[in-house]
Amino acid sequence: MKIQLLGNQLELLPSRAVWWPAKRMLIVADVHLGKDQVFRRHGVAIPDGVLHAEFKALDEAIEQTRAERFLVLGDWVHAPPSEGDAWPNEVLAWRNRHQQLTIDLVLGNHDRALSGWLQRWNIGEIEHQCVLDGLTLLHAIDAECDDAPAGISGHWHPAARLRSGRESLRLPAFALRNQHLILPSFGRFTGGMDGLERNGWQLLAATGQRVVSV
Amino acid sequence: MLTGWKTLNDCSPIERWFAQQSWPVLDFQRQAWAAYADGQSGLIHAPTGSGKTLAAWGGAVNELIEQGATGGLNLLWITPLRALAADTCRALNRPLQDLGLSDAVALRTGDTSAYRRKKLLEQPPPALVTTPESLSLMLSYADGSKRMSRLKAVFIDEWHELMSSKRGVLLQLSLSRLRALNPGLKVWGLSATIGNLDEALAGLIGSGDSGVCIQGRTDRPIEIETLLPEAIERFPMAGRMGLPQLRGVVDRIEQSKSTLVFTNTRNQAENWFGAIQAVSTAPEMIALHHGSIDRELRDHAEQGLADGRLRCVVATSSLDLGVDFSPVDQVIQIGSPKGIARLIQRAGRAGHQPGGVARIVCVPTHALEIIELAAVRSQLQQGKVESREPIRLALDVLAQHLVTIALGGGFEPDVMFEEVKTSPAFQDLTQQQWQWTLDFITCGGPALAAYPNFHKVESVNGRMRVTDRRIGMLHRLNIGTITADGALQVRFVKGASLGQVEERFITRLRPGERFIFAGRSLELVRVRDMTAYVRKASSKKATVPSWAGGRMPLSTLLADGMLALFDNYAANCQQPMPETQSIMPLMMLQQTTSALPGADRLVIEQLKSRDGAHWFVFPFAGRLAHEGLAALLAFRISRKQPVTFSITVNDYGIELLSAEPVALSAEHWRELLSTDQLSENILQSLDAANMAKYRFRDIARVAGMVQQGFPGRGKPMRHLQASSGLIFDVLSKHDPDHLLLEQAQREVLEGQLELGRIRTALERAAKQELIIKQPERLTPLAFPLWADRLRSQLTSENWQARVERMLGRLEKASA
Repeated sequence: MKIQLLGNQLELLPSRAVWWPAKRMLIVADVHLGKDQVFRRHGVAIPDGVLHAEFKALDEAIEQTRAERFLVLGDWVHAPPSEGDAWPNEVLAWRNRHQQLTIDLVLGNHDRALSGWLQRWNIGEIEHQCVLDGLTLLHAIDAECDDAPAGISGHWHPAARLRSGRESLRLPAFALRNQHLILPSFGRFTGGMDGLERNGWQLLAATGQRVVSV
Repeated sequence: MLTGWKTLNDCSPIERWFAQQSWPVLDFQRQAWAAYADGQSGLIHAPTGSGKTLAAWGGAVNELIEQGATGGLNLLWITPLRALAADTCRALNRPLQDLGLSDAVALRTGDTSAYRRKKLLEQPPPALVTTPESLSLMLSYADGSKRMSRLKAVFIDEWHELMSSKRGVLLQLSLSRLRALNPGLKVWGLSATIGNLDEALAGLIGSGDSGVCIQGRTDRPIEIETLLPEAIERFPMAGRMGLPQLRGVVDRIEQSKSTLVFTNTRNQAENWFGAIQAVSTAPEMIALHHGSIDRELRDHAEQGLADGRLRCVVATSSLDLGVDFSPVDQVIQIGSPKGIARLIQRAGRAGHQPGGVARIVCVPTHALEIIELAAVRSQLQQGKVESREPIRLALDVLAQHLVTIALGGGFEPDVMFEEVKTSPAFQDLTQQQWQWTLDFITCGGPALAAYPNFHKVESVNGRMRVTDRRIGMLHRLNIGTITADGALQVRFVKGASLGQVEERFITRLRPGERFIFAGRSLELVRVRDMTAYVRKASSKKATVPSWAGGRMPLSTLLADGMLALFDNYAANCQQPMPETQSIMPLMMLQQTTSALPGADRLVIEQLKSRDGAHWFVFPFAGRLAHEGLAALLAFRISRKQPVTFSITVNDYGIELLSAEPVALSAEHWRELLSTDQLSENILQSLDAANMAKYRFRDIARVAGMVQQGFPGRGKPMRHLQASSGLIFDVLSKHDPDHLLLEQAQREVLEGQLELGRIRTALERAAKQELIIKQPERLTPLAFPLWADRLRSQLTSENWQARVERMLGRLEKASA
């Protein structure tokens, strides 16, 4: 599905990412890498197939768009790596498979104490936000207030609830209001938040096959 | 001196105490005391209020008074309801107090303060009243085993309620632990009368041991009166609220000093409470009581009825239990009780005077329920009562228990395996299931590589232990098997809490919308931190929330009773009963327009209407089994010819509705009703994956995979939040052989769809005569199904097809 923000043409992908063709840039938010490991450390047995599924999804999006730049709007990781964690090295291996790609991360609330690893991963660090062709790219806006700048953010993990009679179905969704777009969480092992439509957001659900307006 | 008479001095302490109260000792009480003195374990079953508590407790009183407390904890009394614990504690203390041992019984539940709990650990009283969860928690402390090593006896109250739930499974595991610590331990259960007392006893004493079953007084007859409509022709044929009978009910309430009105669902309770209040001459003397209402308000209702401030309390099964709840003059049951056991329990609330009659007034909500009530009457006369099915091999509970014991000092796997197998719930546990559960808590799963750096239980010198303090803390917070799943606290903006309501209901409301809760009309202000803030609404027009899981299916015993009544009518040999007299015109109509079902006859009706082409089938197997059965039939039909059905079920039968008529001969029906490939076909026919996902919520909670959010307290451990649905998806994808996924599927089949009943119904159908009729209009049996269709609809489409269709519809709407 194609939309325009301040005249910039963007494509919302069913894989929960945004493609900005003019910049050859792929944008995602809230990947939460390593979340499965945090759970395992706390005694909740989540298999690490989650991590590999994440890489696979990223690979597919990159391959499909042939992106040259990759921007993460915060929460690239779920928590800073602990000693003995294997996943940061797997991220490194993934990064090495995409050496031609420029990757930047707008730091999110989960991306704490990460500088050392970001260097190793060769991922650029953006402290608060950046502005590109008039669009502010940042991690989080106040979804209840009306003063969001034109641009793109993440953080809220918007979800849309489809209802038809007694049936009900929940899907990750893009949220659009005025000139601001909130991305669904890219990570497969993340939850979603209902109810953004109550604050005037239009929800565009990502079914995996396509993006539909709800 | 006369032989056969004992002087007071020869009497045991408890007999002396009975004499002081001028109470006669009943035979079964004496029998129980003697068995206890003999070192035996056992089960005492008797109706509520018949002296069961003292029958069980008397033996321990004798022991304590005669031998003195031996230091440390000697006796445990387990009650399923912590709300009852305080009353129980008082009742148990009374004889000891009078016999000179004061403060011997103390209380420890989730409500007990941390300070008091610590005190109880340091200076344990001889006896403790507690809940299954608190017992489990006590076993999780490092010195828990040591503190339990002086135990002489454990008493379990309301065992019939616990035995068919996961709480009962958890308790069985705790008992196996206590028995291992104290080989001579006596275990005594108290139960209402149920159909499978042997199994109930076995669950208490563990395999390999023997125990006694003691039957309490049963001389209290139950008298059922059905509030019959004046003219059956004008009585509704469908519906589940029953409000047309309001006048009759209110008349009875006003004629009596104290009345308990039992309903089957919380929704029904809210509606009836509102209606009774609206027409009552003294609305302030009526109160509401159900499981979602705040404890304080419930206490107010219970107390008010006891001291005469209230005339009537409208309640759900929340009042089915209770030791000291004072009897009321009259009990009214709205709708069919759906089972004999439940009727007996509820009738027991009326007038506790010895030898007195327990009277219960039943109010049918629609015409066919009158036949259900007739079946209640006839089965009760024959002394029949339902069984409680115990739960087996619940690996989620086992996993939780193993972590608890690993925390409480640790265990050796081989020894533990044998210990666990002594509880009937796990006597069939295979080595493979055991190993899987051990792997689950030590490595995360059997595929080591898939769970790197998993931390929970570790092997330290051959003992399984929890070494990480945080993991221990988290586990203790989540001990238990009760899921307050998705419950939101309902609270006034300015303070007072009203109770809990399901998240699913609240999320459908927008701020400003109104709903009825705890008998009040409320307006939703906002939802924050697991709390729904409300204010009083002026208008009474509002929706009433419906809570999940409220409705019980018709018991097999009652369903069979109904078929027997039909048989009697058809054979013209029915017993004269007021209910059957009243319903006669309806049975006649069913017989003349179609046919009456019976034990040997399965009635199938085919009909065309404005809505489409209907097939009605009446197996009388209960609502849950019918859901599975209907899906199965729809699936098997659509394999032969592509057709989509909308499906409606109730306790009596099934409706399959299609746009075009589907021709099915008697031979077809024989094939459709075959038991071949039953479970496979059911799994194929239903959206089983989605149902299992729903079921997995509880399993994930019990097995410690999701942290429970406590209503009103916000969600703990934010970085560990993941919904059980998400975990279900992740496991299905990356560890599809996970045994907890399999358990979810098993629970769907056995618990939710009652596969056992489906099988029985099909086996019966194979022997039954199939009567296929083409009535011109809806018959009395078909009508309620037709009317219900508008309310609840299932379809025979699979989930994926449904998603695509919903999306298609949405796209059409947005185009």
